[in-house]
Amino acid sequence: MHVKLWGTRGSVPSPGPETIRYGGNTSCVGVTLSDGSLLALDAGTGIRSLGLALGDEPARLHILLTHLHLDHIQGLVFFAPAFKPQTEIVIWGPASPEASLQDRIARYISAPLSPVEVRELPCDVSFRHAPDSEWEIGSATIRAASVAHRGPTLGYRIEDAGSSLTYIPDHEPALGAAIDELDDEWISGFALAKGADLLIHDGQYTDAEYPDHVGWGHSALSDTLAFARRVEPGRTVLFHHDPLHSDDFLDRFYREARDRWAALGGEPGAIEMGAERAEIDLPAATPTPVADIQQ
Amino acid sequence: MEAGQKPIELILARNLISSLSTPAFLVDEGGVLIFYNEAAGSLLGKRFEEIGKVGPEQWGTMFGPVDESGAAIAYDELPLVMTIREGRPAHSDMRIRSADGAEHEIEVSALPIVTPHGSRGGIAFFWPSSESAKGD
Repeated sequence: MHVKLWGTRGSVPSPGPETIRYGGNTSCVGVTLSDGSLLALDAGTGIRSLGLALGDEPARLHILLTHLHLDHIQGLVFFAPAFKPQTEIVIWGPASPEASLQDRIARYISAPLSPVEVRELPCDVSFRHAPDSEWEIGSATIRAASVAHRGPTLGYRIEDAGSSLTYIPDHEPALGAAIDELDDEWISGFALAKGADLLIHDGQYTDAEYPDHVGWGHSALSDTLAFARRVEPGRTVLFHHDPLHSDDFLDRFYREARDRWAALGGEPGAIEMGAERAEIDLPAATPTPVADIQQ
Repeated sequence: MEAGQKPIELILARNLISSLSTPAFLVDEGGVLIFYNEAAGSLLGKRFEEIGKVGPEQWGTMFGPVDESGAAIAYDELPLVMTIREGRPAHSDMRIRSADGAEHEIEVSALPIVTPHGSRGGIAFFWPSSESAKGD
């Protein structure tokens, strides 16, 4: 798998000189699978740049939406491939008892919020509720599960050629209970993230900021680190940066995260900051040579 | 949902009742008692950690629920069991016996936990019965 972060910001786009290094676009992660299939995890404003990078080649891609807050869908109507008839897009997202995925997205892609309607998009677009069991996209096996965040919200786990990525950008796993006091089965997102090679996880608030935002659906740094320690991913990328956090602020936040991670006994270098346009390769697992097995 | 991982609806329900002073039970979609809060533990005389997960036949008789005439209530007539079986709210009056032998007249209200993927379980709240409250 090849992973590229096209938007790492949470809540609202935050362009400006103070957010150049970590980026101001909202949530979007591009994933190229081992068979060449393309996924976009969320469609925040970062998906606009992903679309431009695809160029004029006919595109077929799957967009996996965690939820329908604006910072995760705002880029849909600015995704250039959606305006080409040769493009095929499948949009996955959480089910709701209130309306279908298409109808809920159409509230944004319609007047007065949008100059175009879903039915006017020239591409071949379809909408599917993420199933409660695993499914296949290209060479990958996908699993979705609801996680602690306001409204129907999913996290995703993508397994491809022996490597695994878990994406939980909006997550408040310690809401109402301290992670350290919970058994594994009672931790939101645990099974999705357990042992993943790469975990991309909510890192929106400092511990000092969190008390004013309890129940908003995002993590304090200490909760993100506690969650990561419990699920033991190979690497954890802090994501969904608060729009008030400048590059300099995030540099300090990162230093604190690394120090606290080390104090928790975490592997050095296993905590990283999500930065727009950063790329991460998750190599396919190398089969163990027969000779090694026989030894 | 992977085996062993609780659905988010049950996780949030547990977190909610953990912080309430109203006694409450939480069961999964199979009727297995997976949690009750400290207020319920005070009423029953045993903390959940002392009992752990138990099936409906077992928890349905552990605290001797009886009706107003003193007759045992069959476990499949308990509000929480009816809620799981029928996917509907249920309510009834009963007497229960705590671990120290004290009897309590209570009312039980049970609600199903229904999600886009179907029923995930149920939750029951226990109240001092109206009659016993009047006598307090």
